[in-house]
Amino acid sequence: MSARVVVVALASDFGCQVQMTNMEDHLLDVLGTFELSYWQLASSGHMPSEYDVAIVEGAVTTGDHVALLERVRATASTLIAIGSCAVSGGIPGLAARGDLTERTRSVYGDTLPAVTHTRAAPAPVSAVVEVDYHVPGCPIEPAEFLAVLRRAFMGLANRPPREPLCAACKIAENACFYEDGLLCLGLVTRTGCEARCVSLGRPCAGCRGIAEDANLPAAREVLVRHGLEPSALDVALDLFNSTSGVR
Amino acid sequence: MSRLTVEHVARIEGHGTISVEVAGGVVQEIRMDVVEPARLFESMVVGRRFDEAPLITSRICGICSPNHTLTSIKALEAAFDVEVSERTTLLRELLVYGSYLQNHATHLYLLAAPDYVGLPSVFPLAKTHPEVVRRALGLKKLGNDLTALIGGRPVHPVAATIGGFTAEPPRARLDQFTELLHSAARDAADTVELFAGFETPEFETGGEMLALVAPGTYATYDGDVCALDAGWCRPAAEYGQFVDEAVVDHSNAKHATVGGRTYLVGALARVNLSWDRLTPTAKLIAEKAGFARGSRNTFHNNLCQAIELVDCSQRCAHLCESLVDDTGTCTPAGFTVRAGSGRAATEAPRGTLYHGISVDGDGFVTAGDVITPTAQNLANLEADMRAYAPTVAHLPEREFVTAIERLVRAYDPCLSCAVH
Repeated sequence: MSARVVVVALASDFGCQVQMTNMEDHLLDVLGTFELSYWQLASSGHMPSEYDVAIVEGAVTTGDHVALLERVRATASTLIAIGSCAVSGGIPGLAARGDLTERTRSVYGDTLPAVTHTRAAPAPVSAVVEVDYHVPGCPIEPAEFLAVLRRAFMGLANRPPREPLCAACKIAENACFYEDGLLCLGLVTRTGCEARCVSLGRPCAGCRGIAEDANLPAAREVLVRHGLEPSALDVALDLFNSTSGVR
Repeated sequence: MSRLTVEHVARIEGHGTISVEVAGGVVQEIRMDVVEPARLFESMVVGRRFDEAPLITSRICGICSPNHTLTSIKALEAAFDVEVSERTTLLRELLVYGSYLQNHATHLYLLAAPDYVGLPSVFPLAKTHPEVVRRALGLKKLGNDLTALIGGRPVHPVAATIGGFTAEPPRARLDQFTELLHSAARDAADTVELFAGFETPEFETGGEMLALVAPGTYATYDGDVCALDAGWCRPAAEYGQFVDEAVVDHSNAKHATVGGRTYLVGALARVNLSWDRLTPTAKLIAEKAGFARGSRNTFHNNLCQAIELVDCSQRCAHLCESLVDDTGTCTPAGFTVRAGSGRAATEAPRGTLYHGISVDGDGFVTAGDVITPTAQNLANLEADMRAYAPTVAHLPEREFVTAIERLVRAYDPCLSCAVH
């Protein structure tokens, strides 16, 4: 029997779900390898009471999300978190800084909509339930998503890349931004994107999260050597990694 | 009194719940509850460096991220008084309009079409109508490939920056896309034919229609905002003076009005307002499909998206040709960071998108403002639901729900965007 899969979206831009449909050449083949039991974006129907694999996109921002995740975790034997929001809090995590009530008032004024009654500071999925597989990135790389999905179906261990991006960037023969005194988060960010941004002339913004093997104190020294404030590394990391819990 | 709710309406982007109250067979109240949680993007840019604003606001939407990125960049360029090169403008037009292929193909085939063939999703069609699914995925892929060609990837473009682009595609690749886009125009024409063949309810919206309009082109990247009924045109940067936003209790997205009226943005508004600027082929195909300029039928938004696919394929092919011939540069123009504010708009696939930003003398953002297409459409969508529901109230519950969902999907709503 093929695995029954549900796709669940918390607070997100749906971009990683869009990336799941953005493998047009393989989409139908991929869908043929499992039973798609629920995917609100692509199909009518209700969330079933039984399934095997849950793919979760988005950050946790409400009490309803917490309840949903607990239910999903109790039902699914395998939980896959996709995208920076779900993996480390990502951009939504920026809103976890400072006073949430003040922040909310700055957008809605004094008359908050009654429709969401259980707001919470944004957090990654792993802050609420155990996650079996992570697919990092903002957005996810479709090929990496497929590889993780395959590992999940085969019951292989979660093996996200541990190293920072710099080596891949050197292989791509990119000039280093630090030579021009410019900050780049490739020093500490998880590899696996083929250094796309740097290759296109943009410093790494850290969307794939802080690599397990990253040496943050050494990275701050690199900044100092190139005339930058060491704290600039942390300010830059806050963009995608405010709630990653690594620092 | 009985109450009917459709939680987490399927085949739309984001989370919304339709609630209907019926008494004595008469619909008393019908609402679109936008339960998508507050995302607070306008507060998240505050305190960050100005050049992070386009990166942050791009994450409002995974479908129209090129628009969020470029509208944010345009607002910053207005604040810093940056002039961009002709080549930069051409590339940006291609990035914006190219993303329509992906958005419209996804919405029309994956999200809307299942309603008209009585299926839960498009996937079963892969067996029964493989050529339709191949066409859908082909158009979608071409849009994604084009966005990736200009921006570096299909979602959240990388290369677009303040003043220009940090990298640009080789001319040979642009040349290849000219051919691909010309052939896509045929698939686009077939899409018009397909949607013209679906039975569309007779229904007229009571709302105003707004879209960007520009001389000599079908406006998507730039233009003035024009109102169809009221007949006025105003600079987009003045949006704060004519768009009124209000917080409502049942939605985490604010509702918008113009001159006290609800209004509609998106393909129907654009085709009505820029009819004379469609390519001759697109106009001819639209006429053959039975579309008449000035239509107020909300359901025609789908047909208009298909018509735009024709215009888009042809116009983007010409943009590629122009970029191959053009010898200019898109290297980012220099600028001086200074305290100031800027406001700008583009036409996202789903309608006019506004961004406003204020920056202090050190380049840190002090205020951000975003009004998305769906946030503008929501009040009109609800007005349409109230007007349309009584005409289908006699149907069995399941069919009634399908009819209402079909109206909702005609807007191609993005509730993630609407809440931002």
